[in-house]
Amino acid sequence: MLNLVRKDFIALKSSFWMSLLYLVVFSAAFIPKMSSSIHLVGIYTAFATITLGTMIDIKHHNHNFLITLPIKRKQIVQAKYLLAIIYAVGGVLASYAIHVLVNQYFPELNKPNYSIHDILGPVGIIFVLTSVYLPLFYAFSKKGASIINGVFFILLIALAQPTAIFMNMLHESGPQSDLTIYWILIGTLLLFIASYFLAVALFTRKDL
Amino acid sequence: MTNAIELRNVTKKYAQFTVDNVSLDVKQGYITGLIGPNGVGKSTLIKMILGMVRPDFGTVKILGCQMPVQEIDIKQRIGIVSDDCFYYEHLTIREMKKLIAPFYKKWNEQKFNRYLEQFELSPRKKIEQLSKGMKVKFALAVALSHEAELLIMDEPTSGLDPVFRREMLDLLADMMQDERNSIIFSTHITTDLDRIADYIAFINRGKLVFNEAKDEVLERYTIVKGDLQLLDADIRHKFVGLRETAVGFEGLVDNRQDAERLFGSYAVLDKPSLEDIMYFSAKGGRVYA
Repeated sequence: MLNLVRKDFIALKSSFWMSLLYLVVFSAAFIPKMSSSIHLVGIYTAFATITLGTMIDIKHHNHNFLITLPIKRKQIVQAKYLLAIIYAVGGVLASYAIHVLVNQYFPELNKPNYSIHDILGPVGIIFVLTSVYLPLFYAFSKKGASIINGVFFILLIALAQPTAIFMNMLHESGPQSDLTIYWILIGTLLLFIASYFLAVALFTRKDL
Repeated sequence: MTNAIELRNVTKKYAQFTVDNVSLDVKQGYITGLIGPNGVGKSTLIKMILGMVRPDFGTVKILGCQMPVQEIDIKQRIGIVSDDCFYYEHLTIREMKKLIAPFYKKWNEQKFNRYLEQFELSPRKKIEQLSKGMKVKFALAVALSHEAELLIMDEPTSGLDPVFRREMLDLLADMMQDERNSIIFSTHITTDLDRIADYIAFINRGKLVFNEAKDEVLERYTIVKGDLQLLDADIRHKFVGLRETAVGFEGLVDNRQDAERLFGSYAVLDKPSLEDIMYFSAKGGRVYA
């Protein structure tokens, strides 16, 4: 499976600048205007990188190539889920780092102090999105990928406000919030695991 | 004699056609040509062997291992060459090799570089810049560099110039010096198989027509040429395929002795080529020219 992760890094080598571009564009767009910019920048950057990683495998029907390598289909899916975790954590941490720098160098923007919730919350939201996205991707592959990506793009825009409300609720619920966020995270992880098994089942049965 | 590939009652139904209950043995140590017109199920059969398409029914065994249960072990030991291997087009040959090599336990870097040199492939060239023939060369270099015991080739020569086609057939002949190695070679260009195949498996309309030693096939079938007066309804039924023209007929019979008994010296009996067998079997019945 690690060879498949490595494969993605080689295949995406020339596209990673796009993730950086997303980070810069989303930071410029959200940081001055939105209080929940730390969450949105992380979620958008991470999810855009996840879609880059999936599109690279179907651009030229590359699943047909991957399937000829000495690996099981299950491992192809496994690697994508592992990469989704890496991109989720990477995107959210990058957003956190940018916001720390903004707090330090542009105090006039009045960004709040951040807690662990501001990292775990967006990671959880990316896991939920990925849990829906990846099984759809493996079910429809090339035929449906651009439609799925379009739908998720609209969904992400629509989720901006609810995300802000959700994160505020977490902050304002006081001492109970730790317990709440842990329960939500456990639920999210279970959803992510269930999604993995569903994606494996869909991709294993698929004719390429 | 052991089999490199064993298909048993493999069936796959599509809206347009069906691969119907195919049982096929590919002998270890030999080159088997898989022939048939376009769209009769050769590629589907290859895809089922490789696990790209799941059969509705039947089993696939490769090098003694069951697909898909032992597919990792199987794929370590097989090489795949096709006119479209679906590589990452934006990568260079060197990057593609970097991506592929770690998956194989027996990757031989020196061998790979030697093949690149022999095929005149620059490692700096991007896959998208390669012609169809160059992609086949690259796929062949990859397949031969991980010490594959079984080469599965799907229409590999269709985009190649005659010079490299000959060169490739020589390479395959070299590979067959090791009697553990086997090749299955799907093509509709039968002249390549005339040169190198030991066995011929003929697929038509999703069914296996025969799978026999090439020499036996060419010995058993015969082309009959003669005057139209020789034909009546019963005799027409003896032909696998028949082509009638204003000046006479030409047809394929699948039993040379029967044909000799039937026509004696009244007709000319010729040895068929694989292309003749494919043409008349695919057309069936009578063809008026």
